[in-house]
Amino acid sequence: MKNLIKEFTKGIIKENPTFVLILGLCPTLAVSVSVANGIGMGIAATFVLLGSSLIVSLVRDFIPDKIRIPCYIVIIATFVTIAEFCMKAYSPVLDRALGIYVPLIVVNCIVLGRAEAFACKNNFSRSFFDGLGMGVGFTLALILISAIREFLGSGQILGHTLIKGFEPVFVFGMPSGALLVIGLLLGFFNILKNRKS
Amino acid sequence: MKEMIRYGFILSLICVIAAGLLAGVNVLTRSKIAAQIQAEEQAALKEVMPTAARFSEVKPDANKEVLYYKAFDNQDKLIGFVFKASGKGYSSVIETLVGVFLDQKISAIKVISQNETPGLGAKITENKFRDQFRNRDSLDISGVQAVSGATISSRAVIISVMKKAREIRELIKNER
Repeated sequence: MKNLIKEFTKGIIKENPTFVLILGLCPTLAVSVSVANGIGMGIAATFVLLGSSLIVSLVRDFIPDKIRIPCYIVIIATFVTIAEFCMKAYSPVLDRALGIYVPLIVVNCIVLGRAEAFACKNNFSRSFFDGLGMGVGFTLALILISAIREFLGSGQILGHTLIKGFEPVFVFGMPSGALLVIGLLLGFFNILKNRKS
Repeated sequence: MKEMIRYGFILSLICVIAAGLLAGVNVLTRSKIAAQIQAEEQAALKEVMPTAARFSEVKPDANKEVLYYKAFDNQDKLIGFVFKASGKGYSSVIETLVGVFLDQKISAIKVISQNETPGLGAKITENKFRDQFRNRDSLDISGVQAVSGATISSRAVIISVMKKAREIRELIKNER
């Protein structure tokens, strides 16, 4: 049990996909304009990660090594399409805001990365917690980045204006602003890490 | 050779299972998605023509795209039209839904699709810009203040609305 908890928590801090593994930056740059988008993208990616990690770990003995990548891609794409259908049916606003980045979860390197690096070598329950941890880590990172960007770029958090009369800094609403925020956060987390060791 | 067949078989098996699963999800969500699109369209129409109770599509052909919508009030009297205008903005094609009354005065506009610069051009979706169109003559829009720093996006909306309004006027004339 303790091991399982460790698999879960490592994705959040020690091996955070965005800030430590630096994976999946393309959707992070694109959708972190507002916290609502960040949460939506995080949930969709977590669902795909969980599903694909589970299935990959279940069928890992059945899939020959040589064709594992196409098999993983089919499994991941299936989960992404399910997520897309559900989003279109139950939250069309979010679907429109995330746009092309939902289908692009298929090529999000976090998902394939976890299938390749973890789920194909570990059993069902460990893969489940690994996928969940990575998904939560990705979601938290997205929320952090998008909160900073939404506040600086439009003066709001989740659509609520925090400070009256705050003049937004437009660059943070654009991809260049995302690079700035991610770069500074990465530097900040590295300083923290170096201090500790 | 034998290996190749085995790999092909395994891969196709996975694909067949995946396709079956997706077909199932599609059946479950299809009607919901169609209903969402329908509801969204009705809500958008209602927003640019709040006094209307019912809208009917006008199509040149059953399979063609909608040309415009007729708006009726609750006594089923024709009170105006709703149409979609589109024009090239600064970094995207801006699509605007426009409601006009019978006297060609604009009821309201709503930008339904755009990808302009956030913080500048994207402000065309805000009420401050949109509300200026209210009660103006759709055939000759003047006096609308452009969003500062976003003249191209603002002009794209104004000109596309005006152009489409003139096109639609010809169509409506033929109908009467």
